[in-house]
Amino acid sequence: MFTLGSVLDNDFKSTIEDFSFETEFSTNQLMLPNIEKPFEFAQSIIGLEKDLQENENQLMFHQQKKEERKERALIKGYKGTTTLAFIYEKGTVVAVDSRATSGQYIASQSVQKVVPVNEYMLGTLAGGAADCQFFLAHLGRICNLYELRNNEKISVAAASKLLNNILYSYRNYGLSVGSMICGYDTRGPQLYYIDSDGSRLKNSLFSVGSGSPFAYGVLDAGYRWDLSKEEALDLGRRAICAATFKDSYSGGTVKVYHIDENGWVKISDDDASELWYRYEEKEKKKK
Amino acid sequence: MAGKNCVAIAGDTRFGVRNQTVALDSNRIFKINNRTLFGMTGLNTDILTLRESFKFQMNLYNLEEEREISPKTFAHNVAQTLYSKRFGPYFITPIIAGLEGEDYTPFLCATDLIGAMEFPKSFVVAGTGEESLMGVCETFYKENMEPDELFEVVSQCLLAAVDRDALSGWGSVVHVLTKDGITTKRLRTRKD
Repeated sequence: MFTLGSVLDNDFKSTIEDFSFETEFSTNQLMLPNIEKPFEFAQSIIGLEKDLQENENQLMFHQQKKEERKERALIKGYKGTTTLAFIYEKGTVVAVDSRATSGQYIASQSVQKVVPVNEYMLGTLAGGAADCQFFLAHLGRICNLYELRNNEKISVAAASKLLNNILYSYRNYGLSVGSMICGYDTRGPQLYYIDSDGSRLKNSLFSVGSGSPFAYGVLDAGYRWDLSKEEALDLGRRAICAATFKDSYSGGTVKVYHIDENGWVKISDDDASELWYRYEEKEKKKK
Repeated sequence: MAGKNCVAIAGDTRFGVRNQTVALDSNRIFKINNRTLFGMTGLNTDILTLRESFKFQMNLYNLEEEREISPKTFAHNVAQTLYSKRFGPYFITPIIAGLEGEDYTPFLCATDLIGAMEFPKSFVVAGTGEESLMGVCETFYKENMEPDELFEVVSQCLLAAVDRDALSGWGSVVHVLTKDGITTKRLRTRKD
């Protein structure tokens, strides 16, 4: 029985191998389990809410109740996060929280949600932690090889396009990646949003995760292209702090990074709750 | 949690809708009389409705019986009220804590949403973080604690459990009930 997904996979794998110059290091050789229909098995063991609803109609396991499938799910998605990034005149600001939840249980308050791709590019982690970590590290490897072969730094647009193509070839396999590739290259500060559904979007500001609506509120209100560096960092920090306050699934510590022509630098790492109390006191003093 | 001739109730004060925190000051622990404290977790609308309902019933009891209700009787009253809605229940988990009788023996009671009562001697827990709470309380509970020590233990248990639960926090309150009265303190919790 041919499903739409497997037909696309066969087509895309051949085209990706043709155009990719990293064939021997590509991830198209990720192993699939040695069973009759690996594609469907991969989907059936995912416990992520979004995939369970999406694939309800496609799977041949659709007779089983959603609850049963969720219990059989071996891969528990650690969701709940807020990450944001924006570009402005002097560079790119990336700010993230550090909480991972499994349902309502807080699994960790100290997750690294920013993965360096190379010295002037950062990737953020949202969705499935393992998926994001692997693919961002893999992107780092590919970018390094490009630099060695072509004797020039890879552009953020090209790096994000590479990641996008790889993720598209794994579309419908149940990966969950909602990553932002942020960097500074010859075109100036750049920001791309890459999704495991295959989207690649370019914009001057993004926020990803369960707390993103709350972060957008603060971010959109204060964003301008001609911010000073101090103002920009403060804006990023405040936006994540607001999201950690309002969203139960975000919290832990607030990490802020800055990328300019000299590369990326970690600016600050503050406890989210302490930061909130500090902002409250500042407001009280103003009055 | 029960101590030596004293009991303490602690709870957080968050009111949220799924992942969003709406209010930081929703009080869920109510004083019934000088001997009884009553706390509830669960659906907020049911908490508010039952607060009014029990206030009404207790006022009537005081007028008819011309005395204060004992914690044990109140607990049975709660159970009966909840079971009366057996096939359309109130979605709450109540906790009753009080001092019973002339010698102020601590009394604890927890029920489920349809009124099955349980009378443990040490501590009762309820809420979204009840599994974490159970663990911490089990570790730190000692018998015959004095009020000050009881306050410390209860506070630390609540803070520890609440920090591991995404849906709890954003402010908390602790009441300690002794024969001299009720002391109420607010704790500084994480607001993320």
